[in-house]
Formats: sequence, structure tokens, C-alpha cells
Amino acid sequence: MLTALILLPVVAAVIVALVPSRRREMHLSLGVALSVAPLALAGYLFSAFEPAAGYQFVERAVWYQPWGISWYLGVDGISLPMILLTALLVPIALGASSAITVRTKEFVVYTLLLEAGLIGSFLALDLFLFFVFFEVILVPMYFIIGIWGGERRIYAAVKFFIYTAFGSALLLAAIIALAFNYASQFGAPSFALDDLMNLDLSAGVELWLFVAFALAFAIKVPLFPLHTWLPDAHVEAPTAGSVLLAGVLLKLGTYGLLRFNLGLFPETSVDAVQIMGIVAVIGIIYGAVVAIVQPDLKRLVAYSSVSHLGFIVLGTFALTSGSLQGAMIQNVNHGLTTGALFLLVGMIYERRHTKQISDFGGLQKVMPLFAGFFLFMAFASIGLPGLNGFVGEFLVLIGSYATLPALTVFAAVGVVLAAIYLLWAYERVFTGVPDKEDNLGLKDLSVREIALLSPLAVLVVILGLYPAVLLDKITPSTEAVLDRIEATTSYVVPAPGRISDVLMAGPTE
Amino acid sequence: MIPTPEVSWIAIAPDLVLAIGAAAVLLVEVQWKPPARILGYVTAATLVMAIVLSGLQWALAGDAVATGNQGTLLAFSNMITMDGLAIFARFALLVATGLGLLAGWRFVEGLGRRGAECLALVLLATTGFSIMVASNNLVMMFLGLEVGSIALYVLAGMTKERAESDEAAIKYFLLGSFASALFIYGVALIYAGTGLFGILDIRRFFSAFLVTSPAVIYIGTGLVIAGLGFKISAAPFHSWAPDVYQGAPAGIVGYMAAVAKIAGFVAISRVLLVALGDLDATWLPVVAGVAALSMLVGAILALVQGDVRRMLAYSGVAHAGFIMTGVVGGATDGVLFYLAIYSIQLVGAFAVVAVVSGFGGARSSIDDYRGLARRSPGLAACFTVLLLGMAGLPLTSGFVAKFGVFSDAWANEYQWLVVVAVLASVIAFAFYVRLIVVMYMEAGEGEQLAVRGPVRWVLGLAVLATVVWGIFPASLLDLAADALPL
Repeated sequence: MLTALILLPVVAAVIVALVPSRRREMHLSLGVALSVAPLALAGYLFSAFEPAAGYQFVERAVWYQPWGISWYLGVDGISLPMILLTALLVPIALGASSAITVRTKEFVVYTLLLEAGLIGSFLALDLFLFFVFFEVILVPMYFIIGIWGGERRIYAAVKFFIYTAFGSALLLAAIIALAFNYASQFGAPSFALDDLMNLDLSAGVELWLFVAFALAFAIKVPLFPLHTWLPDAHVEAPTAGSVLLAGVLLKLGTYGLLRFNLGLFPETSVDAVQIMGIVAVIGIIYGAVVAIVQPDLKRLVAYSSVSHLGFIVLGTFALTSGSLQGAMIQNVNHGLTTGALFLLVGMIYERRHTKQISDFGGLQKVMPLFAGFFLFMAFASIGLPGLNGFVGEFLVLIGSYATLPALTVFAAVGVVLAAIYLLWAYERVFTGVPDKEDNLGLKDLSVREIALLSPLAVLVVILGLYPAVLLDKITPSTEAVLDRIEATTSYVVPAPGRISDVLMAGPTE
Repeated sequence: MIPTPEVSWIAIAPDLVLAIGAAAVLLVEVQWKPPARILGYVTAATLVMAIVLSGLQWALAGDAVATGNQGTLLAFSNMITMDGLAIFARFALLVATGLGLLAGWRFVEGLGRRGAECLALVLLATTGFSIMVASNNLVMMFLGLEVGSIALYVLAGMTKERAESDEAAIKYFLLGSFASALFIYGVALIYAGTGLFGILDIRRFFSAFLVTSPAVIYIGTGLVIAGLGFKISAAPFHSWAPDVYQGAPAGIVGYMAAVAKIAGFVAISRVLLVALGDLDATWLPVVAGVAALSMLVGAILALVQGDVRRMLAYSGVAHAGFIMTGVVGGATDGVLFYLAIYSIQLVGAFAVVAVVSGFGGARSSIDDYRGLARRSPGLAACFTVLLLGMAGLPLTSGFVAKFGVFSDAWANEYQWLVVVAVLASVIAFAFYVRLIVVMYMEAGEGEQLAVRGPVRWVLGLAVLATVVWGIFPASLLDLAADALPL
């Protein structure tokens, strides 16, 4: 079934490719229609997934025996939300791409191939296979930015490509090293994640491999100071590209840190808690401060991503139940809210052909629905209680306080800064009197646009009010990560960092 | 009196067929002056027969290894070997020859009455390199090297009307013969140190005796590495490559580059890994240094080229470094796999260059590729796949090849070289991607290029090989793993 989930978008891409090029309108709608199939399958997967630790729906087939490579797929509570998020955002991103008028067919094909690569990376349990998907993603994303992007698209596309390729090169070397260490300890090489977790690495080797993995993923996240490709890529990318880039591509980095760095190098991960925490908090504050002064709405949202992903990394390396849950929830939240914000920026750009905040003003009067959605998503992004952002940030902060109290205090400043940059942007764009000639005639959201935004808005509310839908599926897996770290290292999660602590101290008579 | 060696026809059958085919092409031309097509058929028949005979050899070699009669694979007083390494390499040579000729067919046709010369020279070059990869003796290796190289020098100057072609031929000839001289001098010094020419004899010599101060052998080994380094265009012996790649006729340069690389690397593997395998402590650092230098020099200089053929030449230098990494890894299978898939990609890439800039032409500025995706989407798509394959993107055969040589080197404790190699791969990404940018993302005017004739087949096969062996590499990897030297 998991293989089918990867192949469905590929098949869809082939079908779209076979439609003659002149039927431009058909390509997009066909792409949207076909990309509902993976979404349906992912939805089924979510409902059939038993809330328990360990991989489910595992599929394994030998790829090349002498190298120990296999087509090895499985899903657990950490990858499940990411897959659902990917499958959800692709139809929405395609649906929001009516502004793509040249080479529409190629655009749809690349987007669908991107989806296949993303789902493949989240499902892969063999490091070789993971690397293949991780790297293959670059090509469609590169074309999406480079062909349909803005003015400086080529610069942005090449920068994106080179940064990420550099990270993956180190990753490749580290993966080879792991397989060889496995071969020297167990006789034959293997790239399977569960095999490699049994490795007994010397501290020096583990440190180097940790650094290589962490660098590759930190570029992807991106963590300060490796983030400079991101604003360029976001600003130049077409709306669909930005949505998928922020919504899912960046999550490959946080996913990789959680899955591979914590999983494969528990000893070094524990040692790196402080450093990664500091880097994450710098990212949170830096991203937020830079976002405040951005004159370009899209750049503002891009920098807010740097800030939000800092929270996820902080949560990942704070190593408590709450922080890991929060990081996972925040992965999903950021995909939904930032995805929606990029959609909204794209919609106003289609109407006005500018993203400069100073070109707007008083849009509330002209486009009340649009303003409403924007404010709603901004609140979700800031972390207003009742909406999803609150759950994620609250869990991260409360969880991280147990291990990194000082840093957590600084991180909390990021929440305040988020309110500043988003509300100030809202104020400048939407409030006041619409005084600019060009803004007066703007049309409010169409039915199609509302249909694209509504599912995201609904999920924002559901996750905000009843996060257990997701947390129940996630928790066994994040707890398993902590169990393993506690079992293999001398690290003990400080009380009350574990869920078990909280439950035992639970309601008394 | 020296006894007459026993003749083993099967051991030299493919080489004989190739040489006879070359003669036949010339004779048919002189006798009947047929249209170029007929000569093409003669050449094709020769290549097919050589491939069939190599297949027969492969079966024989498999039997001999299975029954433990490896000795029967040596022929002509141990001059020629019929081991897996030789046969696999010959397959690669023959495939590259076939594809190269198909890709350059319009060039051959355009030569008019001199087309026969070109075909005969190609077959002779292949004969020489085929002997070179199958030689179990350093002198025999030199013989093959010279037969092949001299034919290539002439091919480089095939379009003698153009000054660039002449210049390329002269440069190639002067530097090439200098390299051959280095090689033979190295062979002489190895002979001076050991009294032996035979590859396996030298191996036995070094495993039996401990040579205390083998300065002669060191110098000899160094000269052999330098001489063969020229042929494979490894840095710092690469300076001829860009000029020759640029000046030689576009239709045939892919073939020239591919066969020289295959033969050169198989010879290096044979000399270093087999003959001097026990001295690896001495040559490994040198070869690793050459590999690292080639990768970095090739990748960095390729970045700044404005001419696609020069870029491919420098990328060839980088690839020489990558393959050299496999030699450092100490296993022939990674090297063979890399050679097989790279030679196909190279021929395919030059087929694209030939279509874009004309089969006899010399200039192929990167500007000619602007907006190629609009003008000829199929051609641009094929080129993209080949470029990504050469860049080593996963799901292409180039990635499997790189992965193979990198892991061999890592296993052989050359971790630093692997790190250099992956960084060089990233730099290499940049210039391959730059071409893709130019083709897809920049507007450019120019006529629509129709891809006609056999070039289509070459492109189709090269793309197919890149993708299929990228996703299902096991078949070719297993073959390469079976293709062991004796």
C-alpha cells in the first residue's frame, strides 16, 4: 500500500503528461483531480494506523543484495502526519496555480513528481532509499522555482539547488560510512534504519556522522546561519512552490533531525542538546526580528518560517515528551498556517502584481473575506489559544523548560515577536482607509479560493480545539524515541518531562 | 630457439574480426565505391560479430573460472588474457563504438569518399584498445595503446579543412606520443627492476620477493601512471583534453573520449591492481592525489567554460577523478560499472552537441543552447537526463556508479578522498545545472532543431540506459562484479 502511495502521484504525472499540450485548462484540473487519490489513500492510512510505537504497513523488497540496499517502507507516528500533510497540500497548491499560464502541463507534472519524492522520503526506512528520494526532490522543485518563478528566479533556483546539494553530499558520505561500519561489525553492509540503529560507534565517528547529518538537515530546515537560500527561494517561487516548500520540503529537515539524528546517534544528540538549542533559539529570534522589517509580504512570511522552524528544532532537541510532541504538532501546524499565508499572499499578488506592504492599505474594506482569512491564519501562526499554533508552541515551550529553561525563556520572546510582525503587517495592509487608487477595485475571494483555504482553516480549528486526533497517533512513536535514548545513553529525561511523570502525578482524590 | 606459441584463435577472435572489418571497409570502398550506407552495414556487421564472439568468450571465461581452469584463459605465451575484465571492457568498447558511429553517422556521410577512412580508423582504434584491455603483458599493452591512439590522432584531424581540427590533431598527437613515451619508459624501468613484462608474472614476483629499495620500480610506476593519466585525461595530465574535445569533429569526439577512457582505465586497473597490487602502499597515495586533483580541477574549471564541449572536457577530467577513486578503492567492478555507464552518457551528450552545433563544427557556445527546451523539447529532455546522469543524481545510473566507487574507496580507508569526491560532485552539479538553466529557463531564438536519423537511436538508448540502470542497477552491477581480472 505504501508503494502505491508513492506510485500514485507518478502515475498521475504520466497521465497528465499524456494529455496534449494545447488543453491548458485541463492540465490543472486533471492534476487536482488526480492528486486527490493519494490524499484519499493517505487519509485511509491515517484512519487505519494503530496508535502504537513501531513501523506499520511495512514493505520490504531487496534492491541490490551485495550492497544491502532494499526498497524498505514503513510508517510510524512521526512520518504519518507528514504524509497526510503532503497529500493535503498538493491538491491545494495545484488548485491555487491558475496563474500559471505557460507550460502548465510541465508544472503539474513536476508538482506531482515532487509529491512522489516527498512521500517517498517520509516513508523510506532504508537510508539509501531515503537519500534517493531526498535528492530527487531537488529536480522538480528546482524547475518549479526556475521556470515559473519571479524576476530573479534563476538565481534563487540555483542557490536553492547548490545549498541543498551541498548538504546532501555530506549526507551521502555519512550514509556510506554508516553502511561500512555496519559491514565491519556485522559482516555485510546494510542501509536499513533499524539495522543501523544497532551499530556501536566510537564517540569520534559518531560525532562526525552526527555533524554531517545535522548539517544536511540544518540546511534544509533551514537553521541560522544556513538559511540564506530560503527567502530568495520563497520570494521567487510561484505560489504552489512556496506552499510546498514551506509546508513540506522544510519539514524534511526537521523530520530528518528527529528520525535520523536522534535515532542513529543518541549519544551525540544528548551532548548536542545545548548547541542545537542555542542555534534554534537564535533562529527563532533572528527570523522574527528580520521578519518585522521586511517590506515584502512574501519575504515576511518566509522569515517567519525561519522563526517557526526554530521552535520545531528546539522541541526536537529538548528531548522531553512534551517537546517532541510539540515539535511534531508544530510541523503540521506550520505546514497548514504558513501554507495558507503563502496562498493568501499569492492571491493578492495575482490581483495586484505586487507584494510590497507599502502598496496596500485598508484592504479590509475592499476585501473583507480575504482580510478575515488572513487575520485568522495570522492568529493561528502567532499561537492564539484555541487555534493549532497555540497547542504546538505551548507544548514545545512547556516541554523544553524541563531541559533548557534559559533558552526556553528566550524562545518565548519569539511568540511575542510573531505577534508584532504579523499584526503590524496586518495593520499596514488591511486597516485604515483604502487610499490607493489601484486597491479600490480589487475583487474579494472567489468561491474557488475559499474552497482552497477552507480545509486548512477547518484543520487549524480542529487541531486547536482537539489536538488529540493527531497526538494519539504521534505520542507512542515520540515516546519510543525517548525510550531508546534513555536506554542507550545515560540521559534521563528530567522530571516532569515524561508523560508517565505527568500521569502519575495526575488528579488526586 | 624461442618456441612458437600455440595459437588460441578464440582469444583474439574479436580483435581479428575488428581488424579484418577495418580492412574490408577500405577494400570495399576502393573496389566498388558504394554509397556510405553499405560501408555502414559492413562496419555494423563487424561490430556485431565482435560482440557475439566476445559473448562466446564470456561464456568460456565463466566456465573456466567455475571449473578452476583459469590457466586456459591465457593465450599466446600469456600475452593475451581472456578474463572477465578484458571481456567486459571490450563489450563497453564495442557498445561505445557502435553508439559513437551511429551518433556521428551524419558526419561520416558528410565526409564523402573519405567516409571509409573514418570508419576504418574507428574500427582500428577499437581494435587497438581492445587488444590493450586484453593484454597480460606490458609490451602488448603498449602495442594496443599505440594502435588505438594513432588512429585517434588521425580521427581528430579528420576535418582537415578546419584549422581547429588540425590544431586539435597536432596537439593530441604531440602530447599523446609524449604520454606514450612516458608509459613505455615506465614499462622499461619496471622491467629493469623485475626482469619481467607479464602482468601476472610481476604480481607473482612481488608476492614472492620483498624488494628492499625499489626506486626503479617506484619511478617506473609513476611514469606508467603519468602515461596512462594522459590517455584518461586525469589532472595534471589533462591539458590537451579541452582543446581536442573542442577542435575534433563533433560527430566523433564522443566516441574518441569514451574509448580512450575505457581502455586507459582498464589498463591502469590491470597494472596497479593486478601487477603492482602488493605495492599498493606506495602507489595508493599518489593515485588518490591524482584522483582528488582531477575531481577538483575538472569540476572547478568546468564551471567557467563558455563552450559546451570544453565544459564536457573538464567534466571528463572530473569523471577521471571519480573513476580513479574506484581504483583507489581497489576493486575493478566499481570502475567497470562507472566506465560502462559514463561512456554511454558521454557518447549521448556529444550526440546532442553534434546536433546543436553541427556534426563537423567546432564552436558550441553555451548560447546556442538558450531556450532549447522550447525549440526542441525532446532533445533538451534527453540532454537533461544525460546531464543529470553525469552529475550523479539518484535514480540515474550515474548515482549508482558514483556510489559504487565512493563506497569502495571508503572501504579501503580513503575516507578523505570520498569527502573530496562528494564535494566535487556538488561543484559538478553546478555546471550541469547551469546548462539545464540555459535550456529551460532562458529565452533564446534560433531555428527548431530536428533530430533526424540514427542520432535518435543513440539518444534513446543512452537515456534508457541512464534511467533503467539507475533504477534497476543489479543486472549490470552483477556483470561487473563477475568481470574479475585473473
